[in-house]
Amino acid sequence: MLVKRSLVPLLAALCLVLVLSGPAGAQDTVTLTVWDNFTREAEQEMIEALHAEFEAAHPGVTIVRESYETSDLTALLPLALSETTGPDVAMINQGIANMGALVQAGLLLPLDDYAEQYGWLDRYAEGLHRRNRFTEGGEQFGEGNLYGVSNTAEVVGLYYHRDIFEEHGLSIPTTFEEFESLAQTLIDAGVTPIVFGSLDGWPAIHEYGALQNVYATLEELDALIFRFEDGTFDTEANLQAAQKLVEWVNNGYFSEGFEGMDYDNATTSAFVNRQGAMWLTGSWMSGTLVEQLDEESVGFFLLPDLEGSEVPLATGGVGLAYGIRATSEHADLAAEYIDLMTGPRAAELLFEQGYLPAVAVDEELLTEGTLTADVVHAWEAISANDKVGHYLDWTIPYDEIVASLQELLGGQITPEEFVAQVQTVYEESAE
Amino acid sequence: MQSLFRRIRVDGNKPYVRAYHPYLFLLPGFVIYLVFVLLPIAGTLRYSFYDWTGFSEPIYIGIDNYRRLLSDRDFWQALSHNFFFSIFYTILPIMLGLFLTSLLTRSRLRGLAVFRTGLFIPQIMSPVVVGIIWRWMFQLDGPINQMLNTFGLGHLARPWLGDFTFAPVAVGIVGTWVEYGLAMVLFIAGAQAIDEDLYDAAKVFGANALQQFWYVTLPGLRQQILVAFVITFIASLRIFDLVFVLTRQGGPGKATTVASILIYQEAFQRNRAGYASAMAVILTLIIVTISGIVIYLQSRSDQQEAL
Repeated sequence: MLVKRSLVPLLAALCLVLVLSGPAGAQDTVTLTVWDNFTREAEQEMIEALHAEFEAAHPGVTIVRESYETSDLTALLPLALSETTGPDVAMINQGIANMGALVQAGLLLPLDDYAEQYGWLDRYAEGLHRRNRFTEGGEQFGEGNLYGVSNTAEVVGLYYHRDIFEEHGLSIPTTFEEFESLAQTLIDAGVTPIVFGSLDGWPAIHEYGALQNVYATLEELDALIFRFEDGTFDTEANLQAAQKLVEWVNNGYFSEGFEGMDYDNATTSAFVNRQGAMWLTGSWMSGTLVEQLDEESVGFFLLPDLEGSEVPLATGGVGLAYGIRATSEHADLAAEYIDLMTGPRAAELLFEQGYLPAVAVDEELLTEGTLTADVVHAWEAISANDKVGHYLDWTIPYDEIVASLQELLGGQITPEEFVAQVQTVYEESAE
Repeated sequence: MQSLFRRIRVDGNKPYVRAYHPYLFLLPGFVIYLVFVLLPIAGTLRYSFYDWTGFSEPIYIGIDNYRRLLSDRDFWQALSHNFFFSIFYTILPIMLGLFLTSLLTRSRLRGLAVFRTGLFIPQIMSPVVVGIIWRWMFQLDGPINQMLNTFGLGHLARPWLGDFTFAPVAVGIVGTWVEYGLAMVLFIAGAQAIDEDLYDAAKVFGANALQQFWYVTLPGLRQQILVAFVITFIASLRIFDLVFVLTRQGGPGKATTVASILIYQEAFQRNRAGYASAMAVILTLIIVTISGIVIYLQSRSDQQEAL
């Protein structure tokens, strides 16, 4: 009896709470929920400015935004997008394990009609749009429907201290051979050519990828990444790249003790403190370097290829892509929002924030001889000439490729074993 | 718990009734436990029989996940790393804890509380903070290598966390640093409960400090050692955060990959939540079995002693 008596008011109170918290005041207003990865404080102003413009143009529309670090965003999205209360617009990471899995689960809306309506396909090269393409059901990567549009870009190349180059009478190399002789000059002078740290794992993907771009063709790499029928890791080019990487390690191209250096602290400070002439990493560091060093003291160039092509293949791509939840009730509005966030107005603001926008930057905003101009030009060159190479972890499980590269760098396995090992993982992960 | 099952007298004239309202006070806690612990465990067990990405429609595949697990070299290798780490998480902390206990309790030490608190701090620090501190300690130009250079041992300096031979030891040492405080505090509390007369008696029979420790302190701490063993051993099988911060995916290569890291990678990076669940179930079974055996053996030897 005691139980019953004490529970009745409790249950009544509970019911009341439930009734009160039910849908209220959802008549005229529309709420557009957006999940992005703009978590830095300086970025808030930029996003809020764009949101204010959007809301002013659409009376009654309120944008509710949630920001997450990329890794959190990636982990949370699958569940969030399966809910009918999930985000209408979300920034999605590319690759089979991320966007691919979401398409497979039917959680994303194909954007092809909107792309035509707003002219999104003209914003940047088709080779880059492919990274946001999957066939219906997510069977094939790199073809089929468009599931996202990006507003930022990145390119992996070499930052260099201009004065160290001058001191040793060096100029930007135009062939791979020239690059290696440049590195040898530095080594002979007791200067570490390339700062590098492999403790965090992923930077090794970029060093190897750069060498892969030297030896492989884009067709080979496309087949590997998008898993076309002839896609394989077991190629002569991949073996050559692995052999060259080991050679570089043995010849002292990289920082001493690179195995124990992390990226954010050890490697970054090694470059900033001039403990090496160059740094082979992505354009995402240019903002930090401009902040910490003089904008004119550092430059950026792409690792040249064997033939000395004017625009060599370079790893890069477009950043996280805006996509729409398949079950969103406000898809049209969401598309309009994406149009704003990936358009020229957003590009200008992104550029001010130190981002490399996916769309071309107004030349007037650039000053020749600065790091920013170097980076923008490098990106525009590979983007316009369809010379954008891929990140290996889009198709090979991240932990496996990183472990294999660390084993290769540490001399635990030979280049031949490395290629065989990665090929096995590539085949196994096809299931 | 005993009082809950006792019949209490509600009214002088009425017979004894079983009191149930104490259970009501347990209810909120139990509901939380049910929702956040028991149900997820049941869910994990269920999904271990499914092919499931974590958000797709689960497909029942019987014991396929387990069959595949049997021949998964990575998983058994990761487990063997867990057992390697248990040397650093369990054996060394218990030995260190015993040593510190005998130092701190048998001698009249000034500022005992300061030492005890100071030595316990690593245990209460967030593992992520511990990891970040030690990542810096192990750096090439970090304090450990600097110290080696100072003592003329510069040839031993190395990138600890990136070295295939020494990374497991380096990660293990951090584990020891975290866990010894727990063992020590348990042992100090236990040692204070040991009858001082026993030490006096031992002294009368001419026992030196080492013999006193061996014949009085150690047997007196048996229960505490057992508790420390079970807690730290479970911790060594569950390691995740320290490795995740120190060597990321368990590098270099797979030298420090442990079971939980593998479970995380399978579930959240490769979208194989069903397979990851099977791994989690096996890991749980191993933990429960080993803890169970230890506790059973201990209670049996206690009974034999009582007879």
